[in-house]
Amino acid sequence: MTPEDVLERLDAPLSLRRRVGYVTLTLTGLAGSGLVGLLWLTEPGLPPRTEVAFAVLVAIGLCWAVFGGWALTRRAPLYAQDRVVAGWLGLGAWLLFTAGALVITTLRHRLEPALVVVVLTLGVLAVVNLRHARRARSALLRRKARLSRLS
Amino acid sequence: MSDELLVVRCQLGEREAFAELVRTWHGAVERYVGRMLAGPDDDVVQEVWLAVFKGLPGLRQPDRFAPWLFTVARRAVMNRLRDAYARPEPELVDDVPGGDEAEAVVDRETLGVALAALPAREREVLMLFYLEDLPLDACAQICAVPVGTVKSRLNRARGLLRDELVRKGYEG
Repeated sequence: MTPEDVLERLDAPLSLRRRVGYVTLTLTGLAGSGLVGLLWLTEPGLPPRTEVAFAVLVAIGLCWAVFGGWALTRRAPLYAQDRVVAGWLGLGAWLLFTAGALVITTLRHRLEPALVVVVLTLGVLAVVNLRHARRARSALLRRKARLSRLS
Repeated sequence: MSDELLVVRCQLGEREAFAELVRTWHGAVERYVGRMLAGPDDDVVQEVWLAVFKGLPGLRQPDRFAPWLFTVARRAVMNRLRDAYARPEPELVDDVPGGDEAEAVVDRETLGVALAALPAREREVLMLFYLEDLPLDACAQICAVPVGTVKSRLNRARGLLRDELVRKGYEG
Protein backbone atom coordinates (compact mmCIF):
# COMPACT_ATOMS: atom_id res chain seq x y z
CA MET A 1 0.00 0.00 0.00
CA THR A 2 1.39 3.40 -0.98
CA PRO A 3 0.94 6.65 0.98
CA GLU A 4 -1.46 7.78 -1.77
CA ASP A 5 -3.63 4.67 -1.14
CA VAL A 6 -3.74 5.55 2.55
CA LEU A 7 -4.71 9.14 1.80
CA GLU A 8 -7.40 7.99 -0.60
CA ARG A 9 -8.92 5.79 2.09
CA LEU A 10 -8.66 8.61 4.63
CA ASP A 11 -10.49 10.97 2.30
CA ALA A 12 -13.84 10.62 4.11
CA PRO A 13 -12.71 11.33 7.69
CA LEU A 14 -10.43 14.14 6.50
CA SER A 15 -13.13 15.90 4.48
CA LEU A 16 -13.81 19.37 5.95
CA ARG A 17 -17.25 19.47 4.34
CA ARG A 18 -18.20 16.22 6.06
CA ARG A 19 -16.96 17.39 9.47
CA VAL A 20 -18.81 20.71 9.23
CA GLY A 21 -21.86 18.74 8.00
CA TYR A 22 -21.84 16.62 11.17
CA VAL A 23 -21.60 19.77 13.33
CA THR A 24 -24.53 21.35 11.46
CA LEU A 25 -26.55 18.14 11.81
CA THR A 26 -25.92 18.00 15.56
CA LEU A 27 -26.83 21.65 16.13
CA THR A 28 -29.90 21.53 13.87
CA GLY A 29 -31.12 18.40 15.69
CA LEU A 30 -30.64 20.04 19.08
CA ALA A 31 -32.16 23.42 18.15
CA GLY A 32 -35.05 21.77 16.27
CA SER A 33 -35.98 19.39 19.06
CA GLY A 34 -35.59 22.24 21.59
CA LEU A 35 -38.03 24.47 19.73
CA VAL A 36 -40.53 21.66 19.11
CA GLY A 37 -40.26 20.73 22.78
CA LEU A 38 -40.92 24.35 23.73
CA LEU A 39 -44.01 24.44 21.50
CA TRP A 40 -45.20 21.24 23.11
CA LEU A 41 -44.67 22.49 26.66
CA THR A 42 -46.34 25.87 26.11
CA GLU A 43 -49.41 24.59 24.24
CA PRO A 44 -52.19 23.86 26.75
CA GLY A 45 -54.79 21.10 26.36
CA LEU A 46 -53.29 19.15 23.49
CA PRO A 47 -55.03 15.94 22.35
CA PRO A 48 -53.00 12.73 22.94
CA ARG A 49 -52.31 12.25 19.22
CA THR A 50 -50.73 15.69 18.93
CA GLU A 51 -48.64 15.03 22.01
CA VAL A 52 -47.38 11.81 20.44
CA ALA A 53 -46.57 13.70 17.24
CA PHE A 54 -44.57 16.28 19.21
CA ALA A 55 -42.75 13.52 21.09
CA VAL A 56 -41.83 11.83 17.80
CA LEU A 57 -40.52 15.10 16.35
CA VAL A 58 -38.41 15.75 19.46
CA ALA A 59 -37.08 12.18 19.33
CA ILE A 60 -36.15 12.55 15.64
CA GLY A 61 -34.24 15.77 16.36
CA LEU A 62 -32.42 14.18 19.28
CA CYS A 63 -31.53 11.10 17.19
CA TRP A 64 -29.90 13.33 14.54
CA ALA A 65 -28.05 15.19 17.28
CA VAL A 66 -26.80 11.94 18.84
CA PHE A 67 -25.73 10.61 15.44
CA GLY A 68 -23.85 13.85 14.66
CA GLY A 69 -22.18 13.78 18.08
CA TRP A 70 -21.18 10.16 17.63
CA ALA A 71 -19.76 10.82 14.15
CA LEU A 72 -17.73 13.78 15.44
CA THR A 73 -16.19 11.79 18.25
CA ARG A 74 -15.72 8.44 16.47
CA ARG A 75 -15.41 9.10 12.74
CA ALA A 76 -14.44 12.64 11.84
CA PRO A 77 -12.64 14.50 14.63
CA LEU A 78 -12.58 18.28 14.71
CA TYR A 79 -9.24 20.04 14.26
CA ALA A 80 -8.45 23.54 15.55
CA GLN A 81 -9.82 25.38 12.53
CA ASP A 82 -12.92 23.16 12.44
CA ARG A 83 -13.56 23.89 16.11
CA VAL A 84 -13.67 27.62 15.40
CA VAL A 85 -16.16 27.01 12.56
CA ALA A 86 -18.15 24.73 14.88
CA GLY A 87 -18.05 27.45 17.57
CA TRP A 88 -19.58 30.01 15.19
CA LEU A 89 -22.19 27.48 14.06
CA GLY A 90 -23.01 26.83 17.73
CA LEU A 91 -23.49 30.55 18.30
CA GLY A 92 -25.71 30.70 15.20
CA ALA A 93 -27.78 27.77 16.44
CA TRP A 94 -28.17 29.49 19.81
CA LEU A 95 -29.36 32.71 18.13
CA LEU A 96 -31.83 30.70 16.06
CA PHE A 97 -33.12 28.91 19.14
CA THR A 98 -33.37 32.19 21.08
CA ALA A 99 -35.30 33.89 18.27
CA GLY A 100 -37.65 30.90 17.99
CA ALA A 101 -38.14 30.75 21.77
CA LEU A 102 -38.89 34.49 21.87
CA VAL A 103 -41.45 34.20 19.07
CA ILE A 104 -43.15 31.24 20.75
CA THR A 105 -43.30 32.84 24.20
CA THR A 106 -44.31 36.26 22.84
CA LEU A 107 -47.22 34.68 20.96
CA ARG A 108 -48.36 33.18 24.26
CA HIS A 109 -47.85 36.48 26.14
CA ARG A 110 -45.74 34.99 28.87
CA LEU A 111 -42.01 34.67 29.45
CA GLU A 112 -41.10 31.79 31.74
CA PRO A 113 -38.12 32.55 34.03
CA ALA A 114 -36.92 28.94 33.61
CA LEU A 115 -36.76 29.41 29.83
CA VAL A 116 -34.78 32.63 30.23
CA VAL A 117 -32.28 30.76 32.43
CA VAL A 118 -31.96 27.96 29.85
CA VAL A 119 -31.49 30.39 26.95
CA LEU A 120 -28.90 32.45 28.84
CA THR A 121 -27.01 29.32 29.96
CA LEU A 122 -26.88 28.04 26.38
CA GLY A 123 -25.69 31.46 25.22
CA VAL A 124 -22.87 31.50 27.76
CA LEU A 125 -21.88 27.95 26.73
CA ALA A 126 -21.83 28.94 23.03
CA VAL A 127 -19.66 32.02 23.70
CA VAL A 128 -17.24 30.17 26.02
CA ASN A 129 -16.91 27.34 23.50
CA LEU A 130 -16.15 29.76 20.65
CA ARG A 131 -13.63 31.67 22.77
CA HIS A 132 -11.90 28.46 23.80
CA ALA A 133 -11.71 27.28 20.17
CA ARG A 134 -10.26 30.62 19.00
CA ARG A 135 -7.66 30.60 21.77
CA ALA A 136 -6.60 27.03 20.98
CA ARG A 137 -6.24 27.91 17.28
CA SER A 138 -4.26 31.06 18.09
CA ALA A 139 -1.89 29.07 20.31
CA LEU A 140 -1.28 26.58 17.50
CA LEU A 141 -0.77 29.38 14.95
CA ARG A 142 1.81 31.02 17.23
CA ARG A 143 3.59 27.68 17.65
CA LYS A 144 3.53 27.13 13.90
CA ALA A 145 5.03 30.57 13.28
CA ARG A 146 7.77 29.95 15.85
CA LEU A 147 8.64 26.53 14.43
CA SER A 148 8.58 27.88 10.87
CA ARG A 149 11.12 30.55 11.83
CA LEU A 150 13.36 27.89 13.38
CA SER A 151 13.28 25.53 10.40
CA MET B 1 10.30 20.47 7.92
CA SER B 2 10.34 19.10 11.48
CA ASP B 3 7.80 16.53 12.66
CA GLU B 4 6.64 18.95 15.31
CA LEU B 5 5.79 21.63 12.74
CA LEU B 6 4.05 19.04 10.57
CA VAL B 7 1.97 17.81 13.50
CA VAL B 8 1.04 21.37 14.55
CA ARG B 9 -0.11 22.07 10.99
CA CYS B 10 -2.17 18.85 11.10
CA GLN B 11 -3.70 19.89 14.41
CA LEU B 12 -4.73 23.15 12.80
CA GLY B 13 -6.49 21.11 10.10
CA GLU B 14 -4.22 21.73 7.09
CA ARG B 15 -4.97 19.08 4.50
CA GLU B 16 -1.52 19.24 2.81
CA ALA B 17 0.13 18.60 6.18
CA PHE B 18 -1.84 15.35 6.57
CA ALA B 19 -0.57 14.19 3.19
CA GLU B 20 3.01 15.10 4.07
CA LEU B 21 2.77 13.35 7.44
CA VAL B 22 1.54 10.16 5.79
CA ARG B 23 4.27 10.30 3.13
CA THR B 24 6.94 10.83 5.82
CA TRP B 25 5.85 8.09 8.23
CA HIS B 26 4.01 5.53 6.12
CA GLY B 27 7.16 3.48 5.50
CA ALA B 28 7.96 3.22 9.20
CA VAL B 29 4.38 2.22 10.06
CA GLU B 30 4.28 -0.37 7.29
CA ARG B 31 7.68 -1.77 8.35
CA TYR B 32 6.66 -2.00 12.01
CA VAL B 33 3.33 -3.66 11.26
CA GLY B 34 4.86 -5.99 8.68
CA ARG B 35 7.67 -7.14 10.96
CA MET B 36 5.49 -7.50 14.05
CA LEU B 37 2.85 -9.51 12.18
CA ALA B 38 5.44 -11.41 10.12
CA GLY B 39 4.00 -10.10 6.85
CA PRO B 40 2.38 -6.99 5.38
CA ASP B 41 -1.14 -6.23 6.55
CA ASP B 42 -2.84 -3.29 4.82
CA ASP B 43 -5.88 -3.42 7.08
CA VAL B 44 -3.79 -2.91 10.21
CA VAL B 45 -1.78 -0.11 8.56
CA GLN B 46 -5.04 1.56 7.59
CA GLU B 47 -6.35 1.07 11.12
CA VAL B 48 -3.21 2.75 12.49
CA TRP B 49 -3.59 5.80 10.25
CA LEU B 50 -7.28 6.14 11.08
CA ALA B 51 -6.45 6.04 14.80
CA VAL B 52 -3.67 8.60 14.24
CA PHE B 53 -6.01 11.08 12.57
CA LYS B 54 -8.66 10.57 15.22
CA GLY B 55 -6.13 11.08 18.00
CA LEU B 56 -4.08 13.95 16.50
CA PRO B 57 -6.29 16.80 17.76
CA GLY B 58 -5.74 15.55 21.32
CA LEU B 59 -1.96 15.02 21.05
CA ARG B 60 -0.55 17.34 23.70
CA GLN B 61 3.14 17.02 22.80
CA PRO B 62 3.57 17.39 19.04
CA ASP B 63 7.36 17.12 19.56
CA ARG B 64 6.81 13.55 20.81
CA PHE B 65 4.98 12.42 17.68
CA ALA B 66 7.17 9.38 16.87
CA PRO B 67 6.68 7.58 20.23
CA TRP B 68 2.96 8.39 20.10
CA LEU B 69 2.67 7.04 16.53
CA PHE B 70 4.33 3.77 17.51
CA THR B 71 2.11 3.54 20.61
CA VAL B 72 -0.92 3.75 18.32
CA ALA B 73 0.62 1.22 15.92
CA ARG B 74 1.46 -1.09 18.82
CA ARG B 75 -2.15 -1.01 20.01
CA ALA B 76 -3.36 -2.06 16.55
CA VAL B 77 -0.73 -4.81 16.36
CA MET B 78 -1.55 -6.02 19.87
CA ASN B 79 -5.16 -6.52 18.85
CA ARG B 80 -3.90 -9.04 16.29
CA LEU B 81 -1.28 -10.59 18.56
CA ARG B 82 -3.28 -10.96 21.75
CA ASP B 83 -2.15 -14.56 22.26
CA ALA B 84 1.53 -13.71 21.83
CA TYR B 85 1.35 -10.86 24.33
CA ALA B 86 -0.78 -12.88 26.76
CA ARG B 87 2.01 -15.44 27.31
CA PRO B 88 3.87 -14.75 30.58
CA GLU B 89 7.13 -12.87 30.15
CA PRO B 90 10.30 -14.81 31.12
CA GLU B 91 12.13 -13.57 34.21
CA LEU B 92 13.86 -10.25 33.57
CA VAL B 93 17.64 -10.37 33.32
CA ASP B 94 20.12 -7.56 33.92
CA ASP B 95 22.68 -8.67 31.39
CA VAL B 96 23.48 -11.52 29.10
CA PRO B 97 27.05 -12.84 28.83
CA GLY B 98 28.44 -12.09 25.42
CA GLY B 99 25.98 -9.20 24.97
CA ASP B 100 28.59 -6.93 23.37
CA GLU B 101 29.50 -9.60 20.92
CA ALA B 102 25.85 -10.05 20.08
CA GLU B 103 25.44 -6.29 19.69
CA ALA B 104 28.25 -6.27 17.18
CA VAL B 105 26.30 -8.82 15.20
CA VAL B 106 23.22 -6.70 15.19
CA ASP B 107 23.24 -4.69 12.03
CA ARG B 108 20.09 -3.72 10.25
CA GLU B 109 20.41 -6.19 7.41
CA THR B 110 20.85 -9.34 9.46
CA LEU B 111 18.44 -8.15 12.09
CA GLY B 112 15.59 -7.99 9.63
CA VAL B 113 16.12 -11.62 8.59
CA ALA B 114 16.12 -13.12 12.08
CA LEU B 115 13.49 -10.89 13.67
CA ALA B 116 10.56 -13.01 12.59
CA ALA B 117 11.72 -15.90 14.80
CA LEU B 118 11.74 -13.85 18.02
CA PRO B 119 8.83 -13.57 20.51
CA ALA B 120 6.63 -10.49 20.05
CA ARG B 121 7.95 -8.47 23.03
CA GLU B 122 11.61 -8.97 22.15
CA ARG B 123 11.00 -8.40 18.43
CA GLU B 124 9.24 -5.17 19.28
CA VAL B 125 12.03 -3.61 21.38
CA LEU B 126 14.69 -4.61 18.86
CA MET B 127 12.70 -3.00 16.06
CA LEU B 128 12.00 0.20 17.92
CA PHE B 129 15.51 0.59 19.30
CA TYR B 130 17.63 -0.55 16.36
CA LEU B 131 15.49 -0.20 13.24
CA GLU B 132 13.56 2.94 14.16
CA ASP B 133 16.45 4.49 16.16
CA LEU B 134 14.18 5.47 19.03
CA PRO B 135 15.78 6.28 22.40
CA LEU B 136 15.22 3.98 25.39
CA ASP B 137 12.71 6.29 27.06
CA ALA B 138 10.62 6.44 23.88
CA CYS B 139 10.69 2.63 23.63
CA ALA B 140 9.58 2.44 27.26
CA GLN B 141 6.73 4.87 26.59
CA ILE B 142 5.56 2.92 23.55
CA CYS B 143 5.70 -0.46 25.32
CA ALA B 144 4.18 1.02 28.50
CA VAL B 145 6.97 -0.43 30.70
CA PRO B 146 9.84 1.10 32.72
CA VAL B 147 13.16 1.85 30.98
CA GLY B 148 14.81 -0.93 33.01
CA THR B 149 12.39 -3.46 31.55
CA VAL B 150 13.20 -2.26 28.04
CA LYS B 151 16.94 -2.69 28.74
CA SER B 152 16.27 -6.16 30.08
CA ARG B 153 14.16 -7.08 27.06
CA LEU B 154 16.87 -5.74 24.78
CA ASN B 155 19.47 -7.90 26.52
CA ARG B 156 17.32 -10.97 26.25
CA ALA B 157 16.39 -10.11 22.67
CA ARG B 158 20.06 -9.78 21.68
CA GLY B 159 20.76 -13.16 23.22
CA LEU B 160 17.86 -14.77 21.41
CA LEU B 161 18.84 -13.03 18.21
CA ARG B 162 22.43 -14.22 18.53
CA ASP B 163 21.20 -17.79 19.02
CA GLU B 164 18.90 -17.42 16.04
CA LEU B 165 21.65 -16.02 13.84
CA VAL B 166 24.04 -18.78 14.88
CA ARG B 167 21.35 -21.33 14.13
CA LYS B 168 20.93 -19.80 10.68
CA GLY B 169 24.67 -20.10 10.11
CA TYR B 170 25.76 -16.47 10.62
CA GLU B 171 29.09 -15.90 12.28
CA GLY B 172 29.61 -13.05 14.80
